[in-house]
Amino acid sequence: MKRRDFLIKSSMASSVVLVPSFMKAFESLDPRLFGYKKLVVIQLSGGNDGLNTLIPYRNDLYYSNRPGISIPKNRLIDMNGELGLNENLSPLKALYDKGYLSIINNVGYPNPNRSHSRSTDIWHTASNASEYLDSGWMGRYIDQYGKKPYTGIEVDDSLSLILKGRTINGVATKDAKKMFNNAKTPFFSKVLETQTEMHLSEHNLGYLYKTMVGAKSSAKYIYETSKTSNSTKSYPNNPFAKQLKTTAEFINSKLETKVYYVSMGGFDTHANQANRQSRLLKTYSEAMDVFVKDLEASDSFKDTLILTFSEFGRRVQQNAAGGTDHGAANNLFVIGKNLKKPGLYNDSPDLMNLDKNGDLKYTIDFRSVYATLLDQWLDASHSKVLGSSFETLDFI
Amino acid sequence: MNQTDLVHLYWRAGFGAKPSLIADSKKLSKINTVNGLFYTSKKTETIKLDLSDFGDYFNTPYNKLRKNLGDAESRKLRQKSQKKVRELNFIWLNKMASSEQVLREKMTLFWANIFVCKDTHILHVLKFNNTLRTYALGNFVDFVKAISRSASMLKYLNNNRNFKKKPNENFARELMELFTLGIGNYTESDIKEAARAFTGWSFKPNGDYVLRVSKHDTDSKTFLAENGNFGGDEIIDIITKQRACAKFICSKVYRYFVNPIEDIDHIEELTTVFYKDYNIEKLMRYLFMTDWFYDDKNIGVKIKSPIELMVGMQKVVPSLFKKQNQVIYLQKMMGQILLYPVNVAGWKGDRYWIDSNSLMFRLKLPALVFSNGQISLMSKGEFEDTFKEFYKNKKQRFSVDDNERAYFETHYSKWSFNELSEILVVPRIDVDTSKMLKAYQSQNSFQYCIQLMSIPEYQLC
Repeated sequence: MKRRDFLIKSSMASSVVLVPSFMKAFESLDPRLFGYKKLVVIQLSGGNDGLNTLIPYRNDLYYSNRPGISIPKNRLIDMNGELGLNENLSPLKALYDKGYLSIINNVGYPNPNRSHSRSTDIWHTASNASEYLDSGWMGRYIDQYGKKPYTGIEVDDSLSLILKGRTINGVATKDAKKMFNNAKTPFFSKVLETQTEMHLSEHNLGYLYKTMVGAKSSAKYIYETSKTSNSTKSYPNNPFAKQLKTTAEFINSKLETKVYYVSMGGFDTHANQANRQSRLLKTYSEAMDVFVKDLEASDSFKDTLILTFSEFGRRVQQNAAGGTDHGAANNLFVIGKNLKKPGLYNDSPDLMNLDKNGDLKYTIDFRSVYATLLDQWLDASHSKVLGSSFETLDFI
Repeated sequence: MNQTDLVHLYWRAGFGAKPSLIADSKKLSKINTVNGLFYTSKKTETIKLDLSDFGDYFNTPYNKLRKNLGDAESRKLRQKSQKKVRELNFIWLNKMASSEQVLREKMTLFWANIFVCKDTHILHVLKFNNTLRTYALGNFVDFVKAISRSASMLKYLNNNRNFKKKPNENFARELMELFTLGIGNYTESDIKEAARAFTGWSFKPNGDYVLRVSKHDTDSKTFLAENGNFGGDEIIDIITKQRACAKFICSKVYRYFVNPIEDIDHIEELTTVFYKDYNIEKLMRYLFMTDWFYDDKNIGVKIKSPIELMVGMQKVVPSLFKKQNQVIYLQKMMGQILLYPVNVAGWKGDRYWIDSNSLMFRLKLPALVFSNGQISLMSKGEFEDTFKEFYKNKKQRFSVDDNERAYFETHYSKWSFNELSEILVVPRIDVDTSKMLKAYQSQNSFQYCIQLMSIPEYQLC
């Protein structure tokens, strides 16, 4: 299907007839429809270098390809006598020791795209490399399962493709109070209250009214449910940690939100990678450490699964600028209490057998990871959300 | 011309118009109004920036500069250049709001989302931006050739690293996929051959184009079924010989200026006009003169981009944002920062601007900017404070210009509320919202305008 056709079709699909009860439907909600399981998806944007994250330190090829940026054996955290974590990830080692961390290697897709935007779109929409979709996989999960905008929250100012559904979009907010205060502007309430029957349907104006209705009730619900939940843990002072803090407050307040998305940028390390990536990984793992403790303190951790991915890995061979260029397959982290196979889920990357660009080949399709999360964690049917069937994995 | 058509035309060919302009134009025929749009945009007024005080930054390659000045000094210049790009963002936005060349500025904004480019070198960015402005209504073939020679684009799509020995396909691919033909009208082999033709295309530190002869592949290429020792210009000529190219641009024009939902027949009609000589001005004239451009189904159906929304508000109340940081903040909150496109494919537009957070922010924006976030809501007959007293008590968070209140009193109070509503709000207002507005409408024309600008209908044009 061409992109344009798809767009038209999806705008048709969103031509829900608006009736007054539509508003009510957002406000009264049967909690029995919901499980308690939450999924937090974190993107390390820019393409995190997986090989300097989980280092194959017994492999000579790793060192010969990266004379300037490889990490020596004495500066990493050994995992299994073969792979070692970047020393800035020590909080993850603690999770690993408790059996709360599973690392899946070589995740990717056929014909990998090396553009940030395109590969991010592919990961967000769960499409093939050659297919352009206009809705995200978490958005389509909202469409079919939660059915309320706040089923999915992106803790940020604006909504990414991953949370845009065909008919319902998730909610983007970093600050529920601000969103609530804005939405409760008396004039806006009056506009919505006065709607007796919507004279609007599939057109853009109908879409705006519909979004406004959803925004208002979501803002009210999110704010009123979460306002009493103030985290007592002390998070590092940076934007990513703040986003995780907000996420923990949302989860701990028992919001019925099922899926969260947070992204952390800066991983596009073409030059002078060593220091930059170390700093970023430190920021990531220190925030994650407090986040997990925060969830544990409220007994929410057992019902929360955290997936961390990046849109692609980086090239095995370093470049001339002390960095690495865009690559393909990469490792990803799953953090949670009920992991079936904690530790290293599968074989480490094969540095002998690279693709023609000199990048790692994938052995696990990223949609198999999604499928597993949907089927085995979110009680959904993955083929309904992903559009076709994928093999599921065995990590939860 | 009737009022509805005029408001429609001014919103699509520009960023809306204030009541006095609409009133003046009513006396004119369609052809005269359309001619007027082109007449005022005839000349190109480029943006000029004070770029003195950059030392050798603009005439020395960066590595050499670093050797001469040391790391710290050269980095300082680079950061200064990056800061200037933010300043250009501010100046560009204000230019759209204040320039008389409304059509040229609107076209410039349109082309900036076709020839998507991002760069931190202020001189190169400025030249690129002015190239868009210069060719905005010119000849498309020349336009593509100029863009392909611009330093910012050569960098953005890595053509400065496209060498005979090791071709880089990035520019050739995007040239066809995003700038001219669209997917499906060329093969992977065409990309490879076109990339060869652009090898060696590069630029000097001051941004001037240069062909690095030793890096350029002069051998024969086979491109879109033609054979020859093509260079970049010949590739562009062959591309524009394809009707698919004219059609690709016309469908972009249609979705941006007419309706986000395509009408195949109307796009065909435009393509026939454009394909003759790729004259952008002729194409736009033709479009604004067709009957179907003014069809009901095309009026008020486009979701304004954040920039259109911000500039449009400034057209209602002629004022300029005073603080650069605020302007960037507003753009960031709504997801469109000029000169900082999200990726090479540009902003997707229309419904992609809208999510619950961005919509509520957009709805509140006019009140935030003009009246400290307040939107009047009192049923008729209730006592209403004079605006002055209200204004005195509140600290203004977003200052635009102190005179907007005065401007309203002198320029807007003479218009009936009905007229104001028809001029400010393009689509027909929802029946219920219309009733609600009548019940709660402020007796003060300034506050009434804020009310009008705060309903969902105002988000459309």
